[in-house]
Amino acid sequence: MPLYETVMQEKPPIVLDIGNAYTKLGFAAEAYPRKIIPTEVVLTTTGETKRLFDYVATEQLYDQIVDFLQTIFFKHLLVSPKERKFVVVENIFGQSVIRETLARALFIHFDVSSVLFVPAHLIALSTLAVPTGLVVDIGYSETTVMPVFSGVQIMSAFKDQSYGSSAVHDEIKRQLLATGVKESLLTPSVLEDIKIRTCFVTSFERAQAKPDKETTPVPNVDYAICDDDAVISIAGSVRETVYELMFEQNNERDSLPHLILRAILDCSMDVRCALVESIFVIGGGAMVMGLMARLKAELQHLLANDSYYAERFHGDLQFKFYNTIGKQNFTAWLGGALCGATDLIQTRSLSKETYLRNEHVPDWSNLCDNRHGG
Amino acid sequence: MSFMQPSPVKYACSCGILNPINKLFFCRHCPKLRCGFCVCHEIESHFCSNCLENIPSSEARHKKNCCANCFDCPCCQHTLSARATTVPVVRKADESKDGGESGSDAAPSPKPSAMPTTKKMYYLSCLSCRWTTRDVGIPDQGVATGTWPDNECLYQVRFNTLMEYYQSVVLQEKQEKQEFMRRKAPKQHKFPSLTDRTGLTVSLIRRQIGWNDKSIPKTKPINITPAEASAEVEPLSEDIFTQPINLRNVTTVAQRHSQPADQPTAVNNLYPQRRSLWIKRSLRCRHCEHNLIKPEYHPTSIKYRIQLFASYHVPEVVMVRCEQPLQPGQTNAIFLKFTNPTMYDMTISILDAPPADAQVNMDAFMQGCRIKEEAITSSPLLKATGVTLTRQNSTREVTREVRDLANATIVPLDNEFVLSQRDDSKEFDEDVQAPIEEPKFIVWRKGNKVLMRLQFTPAAELQTGDEVTLGFYMQYTYVNTVSNTPDKKEPTTHALYSRLFIQAGEIAQGTAN
Repeated sequence: MPLYETVMQEKPPIVLDIGNAYTKLGFAAEAYPRKIIPTEVVLTTTGETKRLFDYVATEQLYDQIVDFLQTIFFKHLLVSPKERKFVVVENIFGQSVIRETLARALFIHFDVSSVLFVPAHLIALSTLAVPTGLVVDIGYSETTVMPVFSGVQIMSAFKDQSYGSSAVHDEIKRQLLATGVKESLLTPSVLEDIKIRTCFVTSFERAQAKPDKETTPVPNVDYAICDDDAVISIAGSVRETVYELMFEQNNERDSLPHLILRAILDCSMDVRCALVESIFVIGGGAMVMGLMARLKAELQHLLANDSYYAERFHGDLQFKFYNTIGKQNFTAWLGGALCGATDLIQTRSLSKETYLRNEHVPDWSNLCDNRHGG
Repeated sequence: MSFMQPSPVKYACSCGILNPINKLFFCRHCPKLRCGFCVCHEIESHFCSNCLENIPSSEARHKKNCCANCFDCPCCQHTLSARATTVPVVRKADESKDGGESGSDAAPSPKPSAMPTTKKMYYLSCLSCRWTTRDVGIPDQGVATGTWPDNECLYQVRFNTLMEYYQSVVLQEKQEKQEFMRRKAPKQHKFPSLTDRTGLTVSLIRRQIGWNDKSIPKTKPINITPAEASAEVEPLSEDIFTQPINLRNVTTVAQRHSQPADQPTAVNNLYPQRRSLWIKRSLRCRHCEHNLIKPEYHPTSIKYRIQLFASYHVPEVVMVRCEQPLQPGQTNAIFLKFTNPTMYDMTISILDAPPADAQVNMDAFMQGCRIKEEAITSSPLLKATGVTLTRQNSTREVTREVRDLANATIVPLDNEFVLSQRDDSKEFDEDVQAPIEEPKFIVWRKGNKVLMRLQFTPAAELQTGDEVTLGFYMQYTYVNTVSNTPDKKEPTTHALYSRLFIQAGEIAQGTAN
């Protein structure tokens, strides 16, 4: 690269959203990620593919992150990470060991010039240009609910549950095994494909009517597994009911609608009404057919019929939803790309010099970083 | 060398990671072993792997790292190829004339001027899965490359508005902060200015003179319409409960993700994707910033301009076999073949602890390197301008402890042996080597190769089926042809050492004792 190019032209920051299942990567000020790749590393020693966050020792995690970032930079983004600015979209309640290790890999191994960590829920809301919203992120390993009011995350009202796409995969597997499908056929990629292509969230009426009334069954699908030359039949009931685990009615009262309502109730009274009218569902798990309609029906139903909520919510409430620009699975990334396009990347980033001084990423939950006046 | 299976002989890289020799590099300037993990990767050139066209980095960035001419199949990610068809075309002018003369005539009279001329039209087709651009209704193009329409991002306008909005918001915040800081801490000038004493402000004076106010216009964030939340949500279509779905019309995850902007769920929205570029990589030593690997610029060439692979500089060790089945606690011997890849004789010794004097030599060598660097940077012109040409060596070398895997003790050789230089012509000579006095442990010797016998004892506590790993230090003399100081011309000889680990095999069944 000629000298003038590197000196004169500001290189666009790289925006990374490393999810549990898929990683979204691209450049700031672009309207969609360059690539969406599985968060997996191919081990150089044995050649097997492994999930990035499966690790035993921190050293191993570091090696895996370095390998993973190496493929991102040299196979997908085709830019040298040296002296570049980064925006990393992070889970605000993510493990600090992952965060620290990622920062160490970026700063020490790849010599990047600065990293801006942005919280996923807040930054996803920025794609709407609204300051208030109840952000529901349906990810791979968990579903999280974070109310945001006037650009401030209400941490005390944060809710999460472990049903995400991986729970749906397990449910598909369980139901298919019960119908007598061989377990060896149901690899994770096959399960994901079955989920994406055949399953949907059923309507509220059908879900309610299920136990007593006979309904017309959903047509079965013959699914061909390419690798094994086998055809399995996926029953209509499987297609219809695998997502029910998000809406399960039980005494725990921890289904998705309950989670949303409880998060709203945990906020102070003045913001509740605004949150009810601004629900924003993001994440790859939100892309399934029928989810929004079902969620709305469930919420309205609970509000009207559940005595606990009826006591606490007053007035004629109508749940309102935002539509994402772009697809739900990269909304958080998109927020990062917007953030990276502004001057914030200069003022708010963690620079290399600051990091190298004590090799620590400032964290909101760490008292050392939260003290006023240092 | 066994290509397909992992080599049992591993070298410890200077960063502490174990690698077979074919994955290692050798920095002649340091001189140390380097591996892919501890070198700095850089992008040398961008090229398209399909049309092998070299694309300059600025153009590559502009084209979003995609080739302008080549497309990938959205269905199977294979490369699409352009297919030509001939379609008959009737000249427009003749057509209109015909229409005027015989309006109701169904078949136009076959006139020589209306000869059906043919035109070549192109469409893209996948040779792997038979997908074509006609499947999704993209019209055929008159030229094979360059005119294929791009699929546009639907919300690009909204995204641009959002981006401008946030940029102005952040800018305003910054200006307000600066203004605040200015007011809070008025500039302490060395000399009191006139305006300070008289209480006149700049803007007052300007107004008195009759100039207009110079105050910087405050940037206001541009207006943006915030997104509207709606109570209407997309209902689930009733068809799904009654109509069977055809999986051939539903895209897979890979297909969706290969088109990240719109991620279509139906196959008729798939669109040919521009092919991603590939890169050629050059590797640089983190310590001395010298290139270890530099490929030739042209994409069709697979050669290197600089190639410092370890197998060109470091004696290669190949495990041949063990003398007896491996038993815990029983003395055994392993046959190792050493090969000298360099043009100079090597003296090799096998040790079980790092040689003491090696470190001293290394420091002396590094000193030599530093002197050379000094010589470059201390040119008077550069000193005057204060520009330092040397890159800031901020990348730290991160070394880790070599994980000691050895579970057998070796008997170090009592004396060293010489590995003669590589001589390709000698390969074809008659074996006329005079029998020389050889140490006992050398089994045979031919040209630059030596087969030797190394005694070792697996640890007594090993169980049947456990892997026996030998660890030892190999010290070898290396003749460096790189001159570091300008006055010294003749090559220098260093005594270097590498740590090796050999997986000798598993403990055999049925222990004798």
